[in-house]
Amino acid sequence: MFVRDYMTRHPVMVEPNMSIVEAQDIMAETKVRHLPVAGEGKRLLGLITRQRMRIPPTELASLNVWEITRYLSNLCVKDVMVKRKNVITTIPDIALEEAAKVMTEEKIGCLPVLEDDIVVGIITEIDMMTLLTDLLGGYEAGVRVTLRMPNQKGELAKATGAISDQGWGIYASGGVKTPKDPGHWDCVIKVRDVSQEDLVAVLEQIEGHEIIDVR
Amino acid sequence: MSNPQKTHAPILKVEHAAISYETRYGDVEAVRDVSFDVHRATTFGVVGESGCGKSTVAFGIVDFLGANGKIVDGSIKFQGRELVGRSDAELRKLRGDQISMVYQDPMQALNPSLTLGDQLTEVLTIHRDISNQEARERSIEMLKRVYMPDAANVMDRYPHQISGGQQQRVVIAMALLNNPALLIMDEPTTALDVTVEAVVLDLIEDLKRDFDTAIVYITHDLGVVARVCNEVGVMYAGEMVEVGSVEKIFGEPLHPYTQGLMRCVPKLGSTKEGSILYPIRGRVPAPKDRPKGACIFAPRCDYATDRCLSEKPGLISYREGHLSRCFYSDEINPEDWSPSSDMISSFSPQETAPAGEPILKIDDLKTYYDQESKSLLSLVGMGEKLHVKAVDKVSLEVPKGKTLGVVGESGCGKSTLAKTIVGLETPRGGTAEFLGFDLSVPVSDRDVKLIQDLQMVFQNPDSTMNPSYTVGQQIGRPLRHLGKMHPSEVKEEVIRLLNAVRLDGSYYKRLPRQLSGGEKQRVGIARAFASQPELVLCDEPVSALDVSVQAAVLNLLLDIQRDHNTTMMFIAHDLSVVRFFSDYVAVMYLGHLVEIGPAENIYSPPYQPYTEALLSAVPIPDPTAEQKHIRLHGTVPSALNPPSGCPFHTRCPRRDLLPDGGKICETEEPPWQYNTEEHRIYCHIPLEELRTFDPVVTSR
Repeated sequence: MFVRDYMTRHPVMVEPNMSIVEAQDIMAETKVRHLPVAGEGKRLLGLITRQRMRIPPTELASLNVWEITRYLSNLCVKDVMVKRKNVITTIPDIALEEAAKVMTEEKIGCLPVLEDDIVVGIITEIDMMTLLTDLLGGYEAGVRVTLRMPNQKGELAKATGAISDQGWGIYASGGVKTPKDPGHWDCVIKVRDVSQEDLVAVLEQIEGHEIIDVR
Repeated sequence: MSNPQKTHAPILKVEHAAISYETRYGDVEAVRDVSFDVHRATTFGVVGESGCGKSTVAFGIVDFLGANGKIVDGSIKFQGRELVGRSDAELRKLRGDQISMVYQDPMQALNPSLTLGDQLTEVLTIHRDISNQEARERSIEMLKRVYMPDAANVMDRYPHQISGGQQQRVVIAMALLNNPALLIMDEPTTALDVTVEAVVLDLIEDLKRDFDTAIVYITHDLGVVARVCNEVGVMYAGEMVEVGSVEKIFGEPLHPYTQGLMRCVPKLGSTKEGSILYPIRGRVPAPKDRPKGACIFAPRCDYATDRCLSEKPGLISYREGHLSRCFYSDEINPEDWSPSSDMISSFSPQETAPAGEPILKIDDLKTYYDQESKSLLSLVGMGEKLHVKAVDKVSLEVPKGKTLGVVGESGCGKSTLAKTIVGLETPRGGTAEFLGFDLSVPVSDRDVKLIQDLQMVFQNPDSTMNPSYTVGQQIGRPLRHLGKMHPSEVKEEVIRLLNAVRLDGSYYKRLPRQLSGGEKQRVGIARAFASQPELVLCDEPVSALDVSVQAAVLNLLLDIQRDHNTTMMFIAHDLSVVRFFSDYVAVMYLGHLVEIGPAENIYSPPYQPYTEALLSAVPIPDPTAEQKHIRLHGTVPSALNPPSGCPFHTRCPRRDLLPDGGKICETEEPPWQYNTEEHRIYCHIPLEELRTFDPVVTSR
């Protein structure tokens, strides 16, 4: 799972000299929230986001109605964008969780993906959400079970082993440390072609595992 | 995984676009009210006959319309940005950076006086400001990506030094160098051989997947559409008449025009005994003659009502994502369609007569072209003589009243074989006999009776008709010279012939330029049949024609053949058409015959490995059919220096079946193996093994 497989290639981009009104139109038309600003040869020059479109209230207060109109019509992408040196970017060959870590640490919604300073894609929160949904089998039909198991080696294998012994298939699975209980581990398993009752009957047999939820 | 891609806005959104050309008769609306979306990593196919406005749409997207073309209405949005009304400078930047195009003829897209490396790196250095060295490295990488053999060396070559398929690969590599979001391809494989086409189509599929590129694919070939497209828009007379997914367009076409198109193309495996092609009557109206305020297809539609003639239908959504520009798409069931009465009588399938005596016998025929060697000795006539073995050791027979189809890649000697039979080339060896005449005599020395009995229909009717002679004069000429007909009877006979090819007497006085392509080919057929020949050689008679016209011409040829019991040799590269039209099929490779037999035997195992590869390459107009994936690599070897042993051994995907990886193929000529008395295969692999191959095409 690398950024290159989940990023959006050919992101919608704008030029630095485009008026901010047009950039807003493009955002509305394409339902995109982040626009990398690119110059000749798709080189990254900056980034504009919806927040960047807001005019700071302090500045607004000092203008009268006529000045606001003029102020807006003269405003260009390059005037409001985050400048290149402040844009945090990533590269295609990086693990997704690394990219996600950067996004959470910096509290930003997107990372332009660069190769030799050329924009090749963009990865956003939405891509991460999509992946999370997909990791847990959210796009597929099946039975989703949450198991709480002791935090020690070989526990997950017991559950998956029991499922595969029955000839059932696992779509997706994911595990996290149980919140506020470091001795346990919560694991979500999505199983296909099986009824809830059958699955519960099998998983109940496993010692030390507790079925938190089935749906 | 469900497809989250659909949540992205389309890369290209065309809405109600109308494009006009200024002419001296005023503005001509070439395209009107065309709307479609193209999403990332999908191919949108635009199909239709020639003159329907397909290319105009493609050019309109990037405003390459020329000085007299303009977008008069609607909007074209690329990545949310309106393209209509942009300045040239802005469009140029977009075209370099984000939109690329690939055209039909690769030779016209490449500069013959620059090396391929210079042309490729230029794309990067101009649009991206990259150093020459780096640009070169990237270009080589991209050439490898399009499976170009020996990429680094190709950079130093000139366009004429590589084959057509490789040229097209260079053009595609060039288009992809800037990693475009949108790729527009205008008939990119039409000029290529089926085997090369198959490789290029595979490449397009791979690139779409890896680069997430949105592709607009323009073609007239329904088989290609079925293979590469996800969504299809059918165009007719400048309008989009049906839009939908490829499965829906082929599975349940809604518009009468689409349904008509499907009836025009022979499916691979359909025969003249078992099925009929139904041409669409009439022809595509010229832009200025298009009906206004009415359904544009109504004059040719079997379902047209008064409403169709007085009201213009919009593009109506009948099912999810499947739109049709017809009032009655819900009521029309294509299975209930029956041909109008005039079609039934003439085109009904007939039992064919049993094969008669062979009328044409060719034995060990060789036609070589001399080529001087480049050594100095050749200047004084002492150099070694080299030969291009265009036809080598070909033996075949054609029974009276039957059709022999000849297939193979370009350069395999199909046309040379025909030219030798008709006397335009003199054979170097072997015998050819036709009705007791010796065919090794050049046409200038031939008996009039022989010329009369041996006629030819050519591929390109334009270049075989004298532009300053009327149709009547052209057809009358063989009648006067060969038929020894009294001059007073000629006109009557010409009109009878014109009627036989379904043209009325008013065509007698017309000049070739006043005819459409299909009509010209009919005149060509009438001229060939004027002297009532016994054998007619048809060299790609329908390749230059649109599918609906092609169906009409094929039906016409069948009709005439039945009436006169004429024998035919039918040269074509379209294997579905050959299967439909022929009783016997001969497969040629590099001047050699590699397989010959009754048509049904050729299209089912045992196959000669080359036949198998050809069949697996041909695009089938049915997206549900499964086809074996066999691709030939490398190019056809030079006929100047053909491989030893079996001519196909350099590319044969099956030679590993033989001991030592097919060593015998390189050293010994294969034997002719007889599957049945009439069906023989030129291969070392034993027949028992060839019989175990699976059929290439399985329809679900």
